[in-house]
Amino acid sequence: MPPIINKDKCIGCMNCVTICPMDVYGKQEKDAKTPVIHYPDECWHCNACVVECPAKALSIRVPLPAMMVFVDAPKKKDAQQ
Amino acid sequence: MINRKKTLECDLLIAGGGAGGMQAAIDAADAGLKVIVAEKANTRRSGNGATGNDHFVCYIPEIHGSEENFINLLWHTQEARGGKDIDLVKSFMYNSFDVVKAWESYGIPMRPHGTWEFTGHCRPGVQGVHLKYAGLEQKPLLTKAALQRGVTILNRCPFTEIITNDAGEVCGGICVDLNGEKPELQVVRAKTVLIATAGSMLMNGASTMGWMFNMIGCPASTGVSTAGAYRAGARLVGLDGAVAPIGVSGCKYFNRGGKATWVGVYTDIDGNPLGPFVTKPDWRYGDFTADFWPGMFRMNIQKGNPVFMNCSEGTDEDIEYMKWGLLHEGNGATLQHLADEGFDFRKHMVEFDAKKGGGGGKGVGIDTFGDGTTTVKGLYAAGVSMGNGMVGIGAAATTGRIAARSAAEYCKGRDIEEAEKADIVEEKAEHYSKLLENDASTGSPTWQEAIIAIQQTMWDYLGSGVRSEKLFQVGLRHLGRIKDKINTVQCPTNHEFMRCLEAENTVQVAMLCMESSRSRKETRGAHNRVDYPFTHPDYDGKLMTVQKIDGQLVTGMRAMRK
Repeated sequence: MPPIINKDKCIGCMNCVTICPMDVYGKQEKDAKTPVIHYPDECWHCNACVVECPAKALSIRVPLPAMMVFVDAPKKKDAQQ
Repeated sequence: MINRKKTLECDLLIAGGGAGGMQAAIDAADAGLKVIVAEKANTRRSGNGATGNDHFVCYIPEIHGSEENFINLLWHTQEARGGKDIDLVKSFMYNSFDVVKAWESYGIPMRPHGTWEFTGHCRPGVQGVHLKYAGLEQKPLLTKAALQRGVTILNRCPFTEIITNDAGEVCGGICVDLNGEKPELQVVRAKTVLIATAGSMLMNGASTMGWMFNMIGCPASTGVSTAGAYRAGARLVGLDGAVAPIGVSGCKYFNRGGKATWVGVYTDIDGNPLGPFVTKPDWRYGDFTADFWPGMFRMNIQKGNPVFMNCSEGTDEDIEYMKWGLLHEGNGATLQHLADEGFDFRKHMVEFDAKKGGGGGKGVGIDTFGDGTTTVKGLYAAGVSMGNGMVGIGAAATTGRIAARSAAEYCKGRDIEEAEKADIVEEKAEHYSKLLENDASTGSPTWQEAIIAIQQTMWDYLGSGVRSEKLFQVGLRHLGRIKDKINTVQCPTNHEFMRCLEAENTVQVAMLCMESSRSRKETRGAHNRVDYPFTHPDYDGKLMTVQKIDGQLVTGMRAMRK
């Protein structure tokens, strides 16, 4: 589920529903306050919803298959040698 | 039947409100045209530049010297890859700085640190051509500039079809309005149509097959540019370059964005530099190695040697510059992910690899001339919809301007025609209505199935590293069957309907790519024809073309413009 909505912070402005380029979000069928994440696996991690959210209620979780591979960097040494 | 909305009318209809489409809209409006932009999502945050881009390639004479010198510098970078016609490169060059200044006037910080900063994608001792800027708010600002000029933006209203008259000239376009409870057909009468959507991203597949929108470029770009222009009779170019490994590198598995902004050194796990240019991170350059040697990843993996982007020896200035750059190229989620995982640029290093898919550093699409015209009268192209031009945000915006100004000239003396009466409108209305009747309860396939089926066929029969007539025959036969199945894809909501239309375009582009590759009977670079294992001089300096003539698919080639 890449986008995560903090329901305590969400003010129900539906800005994320309007601007998400991948149409990930939708409105709840009944008059619920928060939007619903309809298509989580179509998130492109563009962060538009996070940037646009006036209540800072959104965050993106990168799915496990897209997790970056990282290791410890070696100890500093003089690269010129 | 699908509901038909009241026909709209304009001088210029723009398909796609990304950076290219919005720049075109602004300039066409400034030239006095009535402009409508048909956008699949919302122009405030859509396209490859939704939350920023890495660089804006740009020619500033006082920095780059003569035009000849600029082109030499340009060819020194990754922009040299792929078949680019020189008239397109030159028209871009002449106009790029003016567009940069225009962006500054819209409020986009093009010199956020006070001077024109050409950092990244370059190496010590050679002047760069990639202008670093702050793009995070570029799309809202371009949208604002367009609205201020009276441009009409139809959000959630993807462009689906070019309408031509009996003479084969453009007279309008079809869109589907997805704002209501059910999709509605929107016909727009237009003297000209400008295609500014990008290429067919979903054709190529992500390296994480189960997470198909994990892509370097915008997955909403699904090829209405290429497929729609083909259906309208336009000549396409460069399609044989599709599904080859591309020269773009980035974080392994996390495919969004490339390496452009990273300030580090390509090293092995022991910290030994793998390229010849830098041994310490330097914010002015990055590591240029993979820009000109994308095969370094494959070559190192074959030696059992994973490749890392090692920023650990950077100064505070290097690391801060990189983080600022990542945020403004649309990688805010990347930074957040790294922070969430406890990543420290000082202590860790990220594995990098080469991305797959795409056209090898150029578009795979419409054959376009230096003024943005195409082989169809009244049809213009900009950005990555072009098969023979530059790619990137600078090229998108600049070619958007060039095409819009050409279109404005063309509009003079043209009359509006009754595009809604064209046969294709009725045909599409019937077709869309049938798709909307496809019922999930009858076990009809989903759009995801269709896209995955296309992707695996493309990789096995075009992108495996081996190409042959027999592989093309089987691949085309299979794609043909997938194409028929897409007519039965279930469309219970507007969303699925939109994705189904994307699958239709994706399979058409896939088949055109395969046909174009089939017609190239030689081996050259990634086009490895085992049945024609030699490089044939007849293809020297040529680009492969494909076009519909009298209803028939015709492949060919033409000389590259020098």
